[in-house]
Amino acid sequence: MRDISKPVRRFDASEKIAGVARFVDDHYEEGMLYGKIVRSERVRAKIKAIKIPELPEGYHVISAKDIPGKNRIKMIFDDWPFLAEDVVNYFGEPILLVVGPEREKVYEISESIEIEYEDIPAILSVEEALLNKKPPIYGENNLFADYFFEKGDVENAFSEADEVIEEEFKTGFQEHIYLEPQGMIAKYNNGRIEVFGSMQCPFYVKNALIEEFDTKPDKIRVVQTTTGGGFGGKEEYPSQIAGIAALGAYKTGKTVKLVYDRAEDVEFTTKRHPSHIRIKGAVKNGKVIGIEVEIILNAGSYAGLSSVVLQRGMFAATGAYSIPNVRVIGKAVATNIVPMGAFRGFGAPQSIFAIETFMNHVAKRLGRDPVEFKLSHRYRKGDTTATGGLLRNEVRLPEIVNRVLSMSDYYSKKKEKKEGKKLYGIGFSMFLHGCGFTGNGEEILKSIARLKKRKDNKVEILISNVDMGQGPQTTLRKVVAEVLGIPYEDVIYENPDTDRVPDSGPTVASRTAMIVGGLLYRAAKELKEKWVDGEEIVVEKQYRHPEYIKWDQEKFKGDAYPEYSWGANVIEVEVDPITYEIDVKKAYAVFDLGTPLDRKIIEGQIHGGMLQGIGYATLEVMEQKDGRFMQRTITDYIVPTALDAPLFETDLVSQPYEHGPFGAKCAGELTFVGAAPAVCAAVEDALQIDLYEIPIRPEKLLTIMEKKNESEV
Amino acid sequence: MEGVIPKTLNEALSLMASKNYIPVAGGTDLMVRYKRWKNLTPSFPAAPLFIANLPELRGIYREDDELIIKAATPLSDIEGHSDIPVVLKEAVRLMASPGIRNIGTIGGNVGNASPAGDTLPPLYVLDANVVLLSEKGKRTLRIYEFIKGPGKNDRREDEIIYEIRFKVPEYTHYFYRKVGTRKANALSKLSFAGIAKVENGIIEDFRISLGAVAPFPVRVIEIERKVVGKKTEEIDGQFIDSIKKDYEPYIRPIDDQRSTAYYRKKTSLRLIESFLRAL
Repeated sequence: MRDISKPVRRFDASEKIAGVARFVDDHYEEGMLYGKIVRSERVRAKIKAIKIPELPEGYHVISAKDIPGKNRIKMIFDDWPFLAEDVVNYFGEPILLVVGPEREKVYEISESIEIEYEDIPAILSVEEALLNKKPPIYGENNLFADYFFEKGDVENAFSEADEVIEEEFKTGFQEHIYLEPQGMIAKYNNGRIEVFGSMQCPFYVKNALIEEFDTKPDKIRVVQTTTGGGFGGKEEYPSQIAGIAALGAYKTGKTVKLVYDRAEDVEFTTKRHPSHIRIKGAVKNGKVIGIEVEIILNAGSYAGLSSVVLQRGMFAATGAYSIPNVRVIGKAVATNIVPMGAFRGFGAPQSIFAIETFMNHVAKRLGRDPVEFKLSHRYRKGDTTATGGLLRNEVRLPEIVNRVLSMSDYYSKKKEKKEGKKLYGIGFSMFLHGCGFTGNGEEILKSIARLKKRKDNKVEILISNVDMGQGPQTTLRKVVAEVLGIPYEDVIYENPDTDRVPDSGPTVASRTAMIVGGLLYRAAKELKEKWVDGEEIVVEKQYRHPEYIKWDQEKFKGDAYPEYSWGANVIEVEVDPITYEIDVKKAYAVFDLGTPLDRKIIEGQIHGGMLQGIGYATLEVMEQKDGRFMQRTITDYIVPTALDAPLFETDLVSQPYEHGPFGAKCAGELTFVGAAPAVCAAVEDALQIDLYEIPIRPEKLLTIMEKKNESEV
Repeated sequence: MEGVIPKTLNEALSLMASKNYIPVAGGTDLMVRYKRWKNLTPSFPAAPLFIANLPELRGIYREDDELIIKAATPLSDIEGHSDIPVVLKEAVRLMASPGIRNIGTIGGNVGNASPAGDTLPPLYVLDANVVLLSEKGKRTLRIYEFIKGPGKNDRREDEIIYEIRFKVPEYTHYFYRKVGTRKANALSKLSFAGIAKVENGIIEDFRISLGAVAPFPVRVIEIERKVVGKKTEEIDGQFIDSIKKDYEPYIRPIDDQRSTAYYRKKTSLRLIESFLRAL
């Protein structure tokens, strides 16, 4: 028996290091056309007229009118068009596609198209949307979702409280900046549409195209090309590009390549939802006995996945804490900006930042040590979650926390602050992440994974999940090979092609290793029993929640997730006393993500996830001005570089999940959620202030410190 | 638009005299300024003349008491050269990333005349001269005469930037700070360069310059003169406040996608104070 956690060489490493991996833009074929999208230059307007210049032969301009089926991207709501029809709802919304053989000419044509607009009063902020004085973007009140759930008796908790503390928190936009911009290549052959591209969810794309072309499933084929990062940005958004590229292929009968320029990708693709979170806590005898959390998300101009993002955010509202009386209110609000979308953590990072920072503030107010205060509220096995779900597995938070404290030497550093030119601070966070789809998502999906043993005794993994850099090419091979006792190299796992693979669901929600890996684990067990050398054998497994899982999607009651992963972070910062620049020096992390399927890959997830979280908390500023983003290139939208990365020290505590492969739980998103609150706590410690907002900009710290110094004089 | 690669300096100058060319060295600013869409060549408003490979335009030399940096010398050569004053070296070291410093040039950074150009504040405090060359001959301008405003300089259409030269001053203190959006590959929110010479407790020389807080780098000789001649113990809170007040009208930053006018102004003044206190 090999140790499943022992690192092996990644299967995708050599082709990526050598530069031979072919990403979507590396594919070329003779006679291929290039596409460019013509976008709205208004924030919100009616399209009055479109003036297209005379087109040279071989060049085409394609509009919503060319769509044979439904001009809506299949998602949860029915509002988001592939190409705008008569109204545009955000600056940059796709209106037309120009295609042709020469990029130069395509560019020229797209620049010379004139569109006449009639402005509609734009809704530029959540506050404005909630006031509802302008014509609503969605429904009657601009709310894509308006939810509520309760546990215990919140009113009673507030009336019994010694003290009621209320605070408000804000989090900003975040752009994914995957290394590979979005792109698709579409072909049309004999009534069949084929799409190749950078994506997380081949079947989302396929289902979107079925509706767009009003056709049968066998007329659509979707193939993932090697994908250079996703982070959620390639969850729902690729359906739009695929739909537009496919329309070009359908209209011209030729292969159409539509790959975004980086600037297009930064400005016009989905972002993380900015949030405004109000927390009101009832404190009695040094404990938070009741809590009311109101989460308002800016969802942008179309619903997209915002309702589920909001649900995950709401279910994470109390963080890793058992609070007996809970009320959570949530709203996803429409505004005239690009639709917000999936991004690593999916609503949870906003909530975890808010609850962690709130718990810090309450602890400080009560004169308590934040770590000890938080631990005293922690979830334990047998507790019920905010939605009343049962924690059936061991919650090893004390062990996780103790380990991160000793690794970082937290208490002695906190007590004896380093004297230096810079202001030193140290911060702590503890948190959880729900594994797999939120609520009844997995039940609806009913994912299928297939293993095919070939006559040459090699075994092929047939699933629709993709490797976008997070490592399933390696980890899932290991799972199957390990169960079967065959060499890792004898397992085949090609990029998914919907003609060849069953729908094992999207590559999202940290579900691939735990849910799909679990299916493959069980399929491999069965295959082992049926194994006959030299014969072809196919085994298929379909997902079902464990029977003990109970969930009411209407009332948001029960087990919102089948299992949870846990973690604690400590972060050390130095703040420049003149410029208030934040230098994140060291990051310590201990996670329980079940059995790691490869320690090296998990370490990569930890470094990448935490650095992305540190960027979210400090550098990644995206602001709106007159309905447009001010930061719209990678020169101005700032993500951390290697020089901005702290030194990492990480460790794992592994409480296995019985239905995960070899006990694996969720990992990818968990590594992101704790960094921002730990950075925030560290900066608060360095400057002896309270903060309520990320990103924490030096500009903001300057004004806070000026006020602080004034009041101290 | 066809670009031209001249084989000799004379050929370059004669081409420059014949019609309007845009001289290009590393192209790290110009390629971005004129970019259009992916995979298309940038749209230069006039034909680019690629001059980076002309040997007469590269190298760092001493001539009497002056240091000469030829215009197309890559930033990474400046960063690694022992004769370069630390205040300039430090500014160059913090620019962009190693790859860009290998190809970006000092002449390009000066010619770009960006308010956030990182070599400008150090060159201002070094009293650098910019030497322009054309078929008609050389023309030497003080750097503050050469820089005319954001993206504007005093180069005539037939001229190329030939070299940057300055006397290496004697100084006992230097202070360089780039406040960028992150630690590398970042544009400046603001930057500060200062040098001073203190001997026997008397400030004999004092020069500071600030970048990205006005349409062009700030250097105010009249204010510096108030500091020169002072004893270090005279640099007290009251004196520092009066100097900061003197600088205030010259520091006229804007709000933009990288920072706020308020932060830029306040931080500039805090850096001035910090440098004065260190004397």
